[in-house]
Amino acid sequence: MPDVQSMVLEFVNKLRKRKIEGSQATARCTVELLKSVVSHHRLPRANQASALIDAVRGVGAQLVAANPVELAVGNVVRRVLHIIREEDLSLATAAVSELDFNGEGMSAAVVAAAARSTLRPPSLQTLLEGTTESATVPYTFSSGVDSESKTADKSSITQKLKDDVRGGIDQLIKDITDCHEQIAEQAIEHIHQNEVILTLGNSRTVLEFLCAAKEKKRSFRVFVAEGAPRYQGHVLAKELVARGLQTTVITDSAVFAMISRVNMVIIGAHAVMANGGVIGPVGVNMAALAAKKHAVPFVVLAGSHKLCPLYPHNPEVLLNELRSPCELLDFGEFSDCLDSGSPLVQVVNPTFDYVPPSLVSLVITDTGGHNPSYMYRLIADYYSADDLVM
Amino acid sequence: MWRRSASFILERQTSNSPPMADTTTRAPFQNPDSISAYYQTRAAHHGVITSDWLAQAQAAVGGVSGEDENPNSSVSDIEKEKSFNVIEEFNGWRKQPDLAEAVAAIRALAAVIRASEASTMMELEIELKKASDTLKSWDKTSISLTAGCDLFIRYVTRTSALEYEDFNSAKSRLLERAEKFGEISCKARKIIAMLSQDFIFDGCTILVHGLSRVVLEILKTAAQNNKLFRVLCTEGRPDGTGVLLSNELSKLDIPVKLLLDSAVAYSMDEVDMVFVGADGVVESGGIINMMGTYQIALVAHSMNKPVYVAAESYKFARLYPLDQKDMAPALRPIEFGVKIPEKVEVERSARDYTPPQYLTLLFTDLGVLSPSVVSDELIQLYL
Repeated sequence: MPDVQSMVLEFVNKLRKRKIEGSQATARCTVELLKSVVSHHRLPRANQASALIDAVRGVGAQLVAANPVELAVGNVVRRVLHIIREEDLSLATAAVSELDFNGEGMSAAVVAAAARSTLRPPSLQTLLEGTTESATVPYTFSSGVDSESKTADKSSITQKLKDDVRGGIDQLIKDITDCHEQIAEQAIEHIHQNEVILTLGNSRTVLEFLCAAKEKKRSFRVFVAEGAPRYQGHVLAKELVARGLQTTVITDSAVFAMISRVNMVIIGAHAVMANGGVIGPVGVNMAALAAKKHAVPFVVLAGSHKLCPLYPHNPEVLLNELRSPCELLDFGEFSDCLDSGSPLVQVVNPTFDYVPPSLVSLVITDTGGHNPSYMYRLIADYYSADDLVM
Repeated sequence: MWRRSASFILERQTSNSPPMADTTTRAPFQNPDSISAYYQTRAAHHGVITSDWLAQAQAAVGGVSGEDENPNSSVSDIEKEKSFNVIEEFNGWRKQPDLAEAVAAIRALAAVIRASEASTMMELEIELKKASDTLKSWDKTSISLTAGCDLFIRYVTRTSALEYEDFNSAKSRLLERAEKFGEISCKARKIIAMLSQDFIFDGCTILVHGLSRVVLEILKTAAQNNKLFRVLCTEGRPDGTGVLLSNELSKLDIPVKLLLDSAVAYSMDEVDMVFVGADGVVESGGIINMMGTYQIALVAHSMNKPVYVAAESYKFARLYPLDQKDMAPALRPIEFGVKIPEKVEVERSARDYTPPQYLTLLFTDLGVLSPSVVSDELIQLYL
């Protein structure tokens, strides 16, 4: 246990100091950490799932507080919580069918229906049913099973939940690691012969996507907007040339000038929100507006760990991070203006941009391409409604 | 192209002749003059006195036939006691200003269960279905009423599918659930208020149209959380909702500014967001609300202002209007204060339909939803 605690603190420090870059790396580290939390947590006799959920949620709240802008952390914590709930439910329905075979009093249909309703988000169907009866039923599962079986079975049931949850988490790790390949597989459907693609900044997903199309012998050109002030676009351009693609580097300000020559805009997202809005590197909102004006499809690539179940209410401020102005100005350049007590010059260096859902044509995740208004469906699949607030 | 023609002349000719013949052959539970009972009740809640209301009041004192309640009483000895009781019961509940329409409907159906002499679930279900159909046909314009009835019937049908050996315990359970629904409705408003708090930031200007109890709850909660914001209310003719809302809000020390309905576009650039309630949420994700909502949503959309709708989940209805005239007409009397020449028509519809592309988000007790989620929820319930 103390080992896990120190691991958590170390990771919280890393997040707070922004030492980990990129949502995929952050997501993977978070999942590994939560896996050790789950393995090392000692479960009580009854209500095992709730104890596990509380433990994971406690750690998750600390992680999210350390870096609230990195939405992948919260997403992954909620995925793990959803896995725990699902595994508990499947174990419970299996146990209930055993009970039914043994001839227990409580009607299996009632119990199973109540259990199902605990997992589903609140809906019109459950509106009249009320929450009191469904809340009490899960507590009787573990206790009911315990009273039936012997001590050897008890520990095996504890182990079973942990094993199932660990299995689920391994699947999640695999999904996070393989997201690039899954998305790249769909490249051939979207990129056609002799097309011109515009992209901004450097995204590994976009790189894999374009290279997959190149592998399938599609010949196309890429315009890369350099993505000031970090100039990540230069890095991407070098990689694309290394893989044999015809590339053109343009400044961010030239996007509007070039957009009429472009067939499709493809960018990698930092996060996709529940309303279909996209958080991406600074400059994508401009590219999206340009694309809308000229009726160019705006395609967003995002792995499933980037899908966030929250609705943004002030994303430009709350989900943004201001980085050091040294990326814009060299030290000493503006020193005469900035040295006085209250300087008249301020330098703002935001990291992210918010693109409203009306500007996005397609969101490609590892499960396929979807309309931005379809995000709520994917969220219902991956997350539980109880986990939205941590 | 056909509508641009002079068909309105033909329409006026055809509309003049049939109503004369209809009055004698009307079904006993139809509302006379197709004045929407729903909007009349809302007007009664708001205390709006119209000349129509005065005429009714005088007639009620004088005992002259021809108003809403009397056709029912004249046929009471012909029809069964039970169906008469449902409508009476419903009207009784509906008159309470703080009670939601669907809650009144479910309470009326609960009264049917209580008074029923059925001995099996099937029989009870049939009685409930008949009562619900009576209620629905009595006021076709109220969407919450229809949705509330459907929801309850659906719940009864599904509950009886679960094994309850004892009919009496099942019956008492249904009664208990129906009574609890009033609490659910209050809880729903609190949940909606909590969900929308994040979207109201300090220093924002909110435009409100209509007097929705849910929106009022949202603004109250925001004021209690010490948020600094101001509200622009539209006047809301002919219901006068603007004045009523400004009364309520000034009690809470929220700065309020009244606008004419026509001043909305003029003031829209200083507005940060628009909050409206809904009489009903339809399958496309659009809403049916007081007349003027569509106009405001159009203006807000053209100026990139978000439009937020606050609606409880039992207002979701299985309707899909394709245009403004595609709903059951809900007419209400409109006063102009001066005499209007007889040949001049008045557009008396009380509500309009706002398509989903002009709405940003819906706050419901099921959570924050974007308009495309509504049809998903309805499918889960009904199919």
